[in-house]
Formats: sequence, structure tokens, C-alpha cells
Amino acid sequence: MNLLVGYTADQRGAEALELAAALVQGTATPSLTIGIVVPATTPFSAIYPGGDHGFNSILSAKVDEWAVTALAQVPQGVSAKVVARSVSSVAEGLIELADEVGAHGIVLGGRKRHRAGFFMPGAVANALLHASPVPVFMSSPQALASLRAANGQITRMTAFVGDRPGAREVIASAARFATIRKVALRVATLVADSDVSDPATELDPHLVRTKAFLTELTQSMGLRASVEVISRQSLDEAIDSLAWEAGEIAILGSSRLAANRRLFVGANAQRILGKLHVPMAVIPN
Amino acid sequence: MSQELRQETAEQPESGLHSKGLSTGTVGVVGLVVIGISCIAPAYTLTAGLGATVAVVGTSLPAILLAGFIPMLLVALGYRELNNAMPDSGTSFTWATRAFGPMIGWMGGWGLIAATVIVLSNLAAVAVDFFYILLAQLTGNQAIADLTKNLWVNIPTTLVFIAAAAYISYRGLNATKVFQYVLVGFQVAVLLLFAIMAFTSSTPFDRTPISFDMFNPASVDSFGAFAAGISLSIFVFWGWDVTLTMNEETTDPAKVPGRGATWTVLVIIALYLAVSLGVLYWAGVGQTGLGAGNEANQESIFAVLSGPIMGPLAILMSLAILSSSAASLQSTMVSPARTLLAMGYYKALPPSFAKISPRFMSPSVATVVSAAAAAVFYVVTRLISENALWDTITALGLMICFYYGITALACVWYFRSELFASVRNFFFKFLAPLIGGVVLLVMFFSTAVESMNPDYGSGSAIGSVGMVFILGVGVLLLGVAIMLYTKWRHPAFFRGETIKTR
Repeated sequence: MNLLVGYTADQRGAEALELAAALVQGTATPSLTIGIVVPATTPFSAIYPGGDHGFNSILSAKVDEWAVTALAQVPQGVSAKVVARSVSSVAEGLIELADEVGAHGIVLGGRKRHRAGFFMPGAVANALLHASPVPVFMSSPQALASLRAANGQITRMTAFVGDRPGAREVIASAARFATIRKVALRVATLVADSDVSDPATELDPHLVRTKAFLTELTQSMGLRASVEVISRQSLDEAIDSLAWEAGEIAILGSSRLAANRRLFVGANAQRILGKLHVPMAVIPN
Repeated sequence: MSQELRQETAEQPESGLHSKGLSTGTVGVVGLVVIGISCIAPAYTLTAGLGATVAVVGTSLPAILLAGFIPMLLVALGYRELNNAMPDSGTSFTWATRAFGPMIGWMGGWGLIAATVIVLSNLAAVAVDFFYILLAQLTGNQAIADLTKNLWVNIPTTLVFIAAAAYISYRGLNATKVFQYVLVGFQVAVLLLFAIMAFTSSTPFDRTPISFDMFNPASVDSFGAFAAGISLSIFVFWGWDVTLTMNEETTDPAKVPGRGATWTVLVIIALYLAVSLGVLYWAGVGQTGLGAGNEANQESIFAVLSGPIMGPLAILMSLAILSSSAASLQSTMVSPARTLLAMGYYKALPPSFAKISPRFMSPSVATVVSAAAAAVFYVVTRLISENALWDTITALGLMICFYYGITALACVWYFRSELFASVRNFFFKFLAPLIGGVVLLVMFFSTAVESMNPDYGSGSAIGSVGMVFILGVGVLLLGVAIMLYTKWRHPAFFRGETIKTR
């Protein structure tokens, strides 16, 4: 498996690299492409006086230094190369690079930022989540702590799905990763009381239906997966009560995919992304 | 002529970046004219520079504006040669170092940094003035416009503007093509409107007929006034040379830069003449009331004249100046930061100046230091000078003459072995930069000596030495001190270990 790392020469970049290495290790041909995207200068943002001031040659020397640092962080057994690209937008550059090197996914490091209680992905992650043709993996310091607790070994894939037919793609993607890595697959769905109009009478039948639907779906796909339907009063409580193994990866469908599925619409999806403490992948439509 | 700027690359990983990250071939003649005008920022330069220039040359303003372009042209031709020979260094610091060695090169870089730091503080101050004027015009409450005279309001607001510009340039946010076209188009339209309204006004303050003498440089009283006028008018054309140095970005490097530069200067000169003649015609150079010679009007001429001339449309002028100075504030912030970065990188300053933010790919320490320097400079000037804007503009003219002069002579010296190899070399690498450089350095010394007089500029003085002299020469001496300190602590650059002298 080949993953593209959206690398910056700081803690985030190191974290992205660590997650990416953990993801590819143990696959048939583990390789990483470390992408450094340098913002392209546009002539219409002319700098005066003096223009370039030698900045681009200094920057390119700096990128070479960063490349050496990055390669030194790649573990034994994983082949890696550094590619730098000058494009006006970082997300655009990463998508271009992923396409050129045939990457199976893009890995980003990041920090959790919350605004008014909602998780805000960084600008680059946000742009990628709306445009990337390949899965986007995101790490955070807490997520890495979980991975490190498992000695950098990935132990299980958890696919977050709703109870509607579109769940198939997310489960299939998660299953592909699980098969490549020879780890267990879990399918989880979160139900809040407000998902049904009258919780007292409708909740239990809803839960039974959902569980039956997902079990049938995974079996029809020929998968051995554990299915968990978590029901709590609120979504937050449901997220919190889901148990995680060290080294687990969460997989969600992208927002475009989510358009016709309740669980991932807007605020809910952001809640889940914000409350998870494991590395996450978002699968495009 | 190979690049001998040493880059410390241990290995050569596959970065593929060394071809500069410039988008090739997207800028045509019109685009280049827009870029040129946006760098010159005419609405800002006129409001900041016109009054101060009238103060020294009176009705000969148009003549001085025309004459001031000539040294600018001569120096810019030298710039173009250096830029073509060393496209990847692109700054006075490296060019002058390669020609004259570390000490003069260091001071050339310092001159550029000082000039940009001074202009930053002035840009921020002008933006703040017009920010409050605009608020006053929007709310109809004149008292708000006067807030800018209250130092407790003015200084914090200015610091906020500087900090915002530094943050934007640190984040590496870029202006887009549409943004520049709109900004430039609006600026030019408002300035023309101002000129038209001045000429068609039925109630000029002091109607002064336009005469041929206004265009005659010989009609300026003294050489001192002429020199001071030239160094100010250099400031109003500062930015034009960017059109000459853009090559790879243009659709046709053989034709576009030349045409773009020509059209830019024609548009700018026409605009300047229209506005300055309009001001002279409407306000005269009298020293009382709305006269352009009145000291009280000189720090920001449009702040005073746009209301009486344009009536309710004056709000457009405030918008044009606020947008032009705020945009320039941000784009100018990048310059000292990059020169400081280059100086740090080549060990001419402590190595921490060479830090680049890995996330935003912009100078980090250097940007903060530039913004802090501009802020300190502004606060100091504002507190000790009666008329800070005026004095900073005059000191800025000094500084531009200094580093332009050094850079022009660096061109002559750098190419010394090939000056007479062809007619083209003789004119572009020798004659033009030599005359331009010598003229600017003469202007520099002449203005510096003049400015020792306590009555010079706004008339502020410390002891019995003029404020402009203290600002200008003080900043240069500070540079010498920092240079000597760096030479003592980090001698590598001064031993020629990082940049080789040709």
C-alpha cells in the first residue's frame, strides 16, 4: 500500500508520518510518498519593494532540509520518497500528488479545534474532505497516543454507518483495509433518542431493525464483522459509550456521501469527528 | 555567470523545486500595469507625499514629479540587469554584497529594511487616519474623524493595523487577480474624479492658474529644495521598477515588461499631473486655510481637501486611500521580512532570523521583527514629533535614495569587467545606473545635510538638530551598530564565507 503524507516539518507532520507508517507497515509493498506543498507565488500578490528577495531559493533549500528530516523519521522496511510541489493551494497540491503517485490515501496530522462545541477540521483537511478522490486519514495527538499504546500496530477497523443503504460503501472500504492488514472489522452505528419520534414505543423496534439490517448487510458482503448498535439519550453520550481498543482506526463516509444518511449530516458528523480519540479516515463517495 | 550563493543542502532529495515556483506566462501588459499601479499605490503616495513636496518646491510640483522619475528610471534599469544576472537572490542585500563585499552589502540590506519599516509605519498611520475619517463620513459624526488625533486612540489602532498585516503576511495569504484589478481600478477612478471635480469646482479656495512655469524644474528656488523634492518624488514612483523585473511571469518576456513598464509610468504620471495640477489650481500653495502650503495640511493632503472639493463623494476618496494603504501595508510587510530572512540565512544576522514556518512557508521570526520594528518606529515618531507622518515620509525619501544609490552602483561594479563589451552594456549596466546611483547618493547627502536644520520638515527638533536628520541618520547608525555587533558575534558572513564577492 502506498500512502501520501501531507507533510509539514513540525509536530503535526511527524504525527502524520507516524500514522502513515503504521498504516502501511505489514502490507505487501509498504511505501510512503512524503508530499511537501509549497504555496505558489502568484504575480498578482506582488511584493514590494524587491519582490522575491531570494526567498524561493532559500525556501527550496529549506524544503531539502525538511525532506532529510522527514526521511529520517520513516521506520525500517517502509520505502519512502519526498516530493515537493509548488501549487497555490495545499489541498489541491496533495490531490495532484496523490493522483500522480497512485496513492491509496492521504494522511494528515492535525490538532483538534473546537468552535462553539463543533469540531473544525483544519483548512487543508476541510478542503480535502470535500474534494479528495482517495481516503483521507487524520491524526491528532490523542489518536497517536492510542496507536502508540498498541506499539504502533493497527488492531481493528471500525466503520461508522447509519441505518440506510449507503452504508455499504463505507463498510466495503473499511473491510478492504481490514483485509489488507488482517485485522478485525467492527461496524458501529449510533442512535440518539431523538432519532425516533416516540422513543418510548419506537426506539426498541428501531434498534432491532437496525442491527438486523447491518448484520444482514455485512453477511451479504461476505464479511465477518461485529455489529454494534449504540443507543443513548444523546449522540454525545452514544459516542462516549463506544469502547475502543488501542490501535483502532475509525472510518467514516464523507459529507457528500452523508447527504442522504442521518448520522453524518452536518453537526452530527462533526460531533463524532471531534469526540473520537483514535485515528480517523474519511472515505469519499 | 553562475550562482555562487551557497545553499547548505546536505543531500539532494527529490524536491524538484529549484525551478522557481512562479506561474509562467500569465501576466499580459494590462495585468502588469495593474501590478505596477498597485505597487505604487497612487492614492496613498499622493496623500502622503504631495503635501510634503509642495512644502519644499511650491508650484513647481509638476516639474519635480517629472524630474523625480528620471533617477528612478536610471536606477530601475540597473535593477533589471542585476535581477537578470541573479534572479534567485533578488534583493539589494545580496546584490550589493556580491559587488562590494559584506559591509556595504549589509548596509544596502539595512537601507532597504529601514525604508520598508518606515513606510510600513506611515502606511499604517495613513490607513488609520482614513479609517476614522471614513467612519466619520459614514456616521455623519465629525467627532469620530478627530479621534485619530488622540494618541490614546491613534497609537493602539495603528498597532492593531500593523499586527493584522503581519499576521496576514505570516499566514501567506495572497491577493488575487480580481482583487487587484478592482482595487487599482477604483483607486484610479477616484483620483481622476478628484482632479475633475477640482478643475470644475465653482468655488476654488485659492484659484491658481496653471502656468508653463509649473513644469520647469529650473524654477525651483534652490538646489537644496530641488534635491529634497526629488527625494520625495522618488517615493511616489517607488514600486514602478517591479514592472521591469517581472519576466518569467509574463506572457512574452521580450515585450511585455517593457510595454507594461511604459504604460504604467504613463498612467501614473498622467494621474499625478492631473491630481497635483488639480490641487494647485483649487488650493494654491498658500500657507493658510486650505492652501497646499499650509503646514497643517501637509501630512495628509486628501484628508483636508477631499471634503471641500468632492463634497459627499469624499467618502469614495477615504475608501480608496484606506484600501490602497491597507493592501500596501500587507504586501510591503513581506519585504523587510524576506530581506531579514535572507540576511539570517546567509549568516549576516543571528541564525534565528532564518526561521521559516513549516506550516505557512513564510518567514516567522523575521516577520515578527519587521512588524515590531515598524510599531516601535511609529510610536517613537508619533510621541516625539509634532508632525510624524510628514517627518517619516521625508526620512523615507532619504532611506530610499540611500539603498537605491548603493544598489545602482553595485550594478556598475558587479558588471565592471563587461561594461564596455557592447553598446547595450554601456548604457544599461554602466551609464544609466552610474548616473542614477550618483544622483541618488548626492540627493541623499544633500537632504541629510539640509535636514540637520531644526526648521526642516515639520520643524520638530531634538536639541538643535532636525527631526528628519535624527530619524534618518539615526536609523542608519543603528544599522552600523547592529552590523558591528553581528560581525563580532557571527563573523562568518563578514569573512565572505556565505556569499562570495565577485
